[in-house]
Amino acid sequence: MHKDIGEYLEALKAALQGADPATIQDALSDAEEHLALALEREEASGTQAPFSAVVAEYGSPDEVAAAYRELESRTPVSFYPPAAPRDGRPSLWKRFLGVAVDLRAYAALFYLFASLALGVLYFTIAATGLSLSLGLIVLIVGLPFVVGFLIAVRGIAVVEGRIVEALLGVRMPRRPVFVRKGLAWHRRIGVLFSDRSTWTAILYLVLMMPLGIVYFTAALVLLVFSFTFLASPLLLGVIGLPLGEIGGRCYFVPDWALPLCAIGGALLFLLTLHFAKWIGAVHGRYAKAMLVRSS
Amino acid sequence: MIENTPDKKFRKELNAGTAALVLLGVLEKSDEPMYGYQIAKLISSRDDSAPMMKQGALYPVLRSLERGGLLESTIETSVSGPPRRYYRITVAGRDALARWIEMWKGSRDFIDSIIRGVQDA
Repeated sequence: MHKDIGEYLEALKAALQGADPATIQDALSDAEEHLALALEREEASGTQAPFSAVVAEYGSPDEVAAAYRELESRTPVSFYPPAAPRDGRPSLWKRFLGVAVDLRAYAALFYLFASLALGVLYFTIAATGLSLSLGLIVLIVGLPFVVGFLIAVRGIAVVEGRIVEALLGVRMPRRPVFVRKGLAWHRRIGVLFSDRSTWTAILYLVLMMPLGIVYFTAALVLLVFSFTFLASPLLLGVIGLPLGEIGGRCYFVPDWALPLCAIGGALLFLLTLHFAKWIGAVHGRYAKAMLVRSS
Repeated sequence: MIENTPDKKFRKELNAGTAALVLLGVLEKSDEPMYGYQIAKLISSRDDSAPMMKQGALYPVLRSLERGGLLESTIETSVSGPPRRYYRITVAGRDALARWIEMWKGSRDFIDSIIRGVQDA
């Protein structure tokens, strides 16, 4: 039998081994919230062996883990409808064109654009927090500031997780991690400092700016080229604009090549969507590794 | 009460189908948002003889109802212990509940009529 909440949570984590890390985090927070409250009430009412009474009602770690696994397996990862089961893979050609009607590709493209603004915001917060923390740490007021900053980082990590889940479709935790009740305050702060995810989250916030610049630039350049080529029959053929001007010489495209330019633009647009989807998937995995507590 | 395995299995399957209905029903009747422990206590106070399901199994159902847009939740920190997640029913949740109650009544009447038929035979 489990002696206390800590042991119960360990057992629950073990029983959920192999499940999605975000599901595990949800299950642990739910269990902790419930057990802490229930234990408090049982103790107040003077029950013998309050903890085993609480666990008997809540369910063993195995039972609870089974309930989460069961529902996780039935629930789509985010607000997208689950992909329809298909007989075999569609042809390469269909997959290439199909991206044009894939909501996920557009959501990922939107994330690439939003990442610049997010990156600047995160970088500013992280840089301000880090420099003030390092500057103030020699003073007695420095420690509360550092702790406040680390707690804020955890909060931002959850918010970023929600954005990543909504736009990139990668399952992320739905609530912040918190330390167990009953731990002395200095132990809680210790957990904050010793938890790897606090530091990787700061790194994530800092790196989000360069990444955001790259994502934004790549997405913008690709889209501008796609649309320019797509509109070339109108811009070059009807209005008569040159394709480009280098060293005072204007370059024109012969009329017969204009439809080819438009087709090229459409293909580039599809490639851009594929690129956005791919970057989105890679970034989603990276965000999960950096923001979610893996223990 | 010790149940044998087929009974246990039947109860589990029955609960899996009705838990969402029960949770929506509880939250629809409540004027205030409720947190998991409150909901679990309310349910067990109505059903002392045979607890409908383990309290721990209610939480994933709450989460899946929230994901489906039938519930919404807010987290509130508490002075003692971990933060609590408060759930309330949404408009879509009320609509779904109304439909589910009709379905439930239909199934219940059908099953009752079958059972009565079996007993008469």
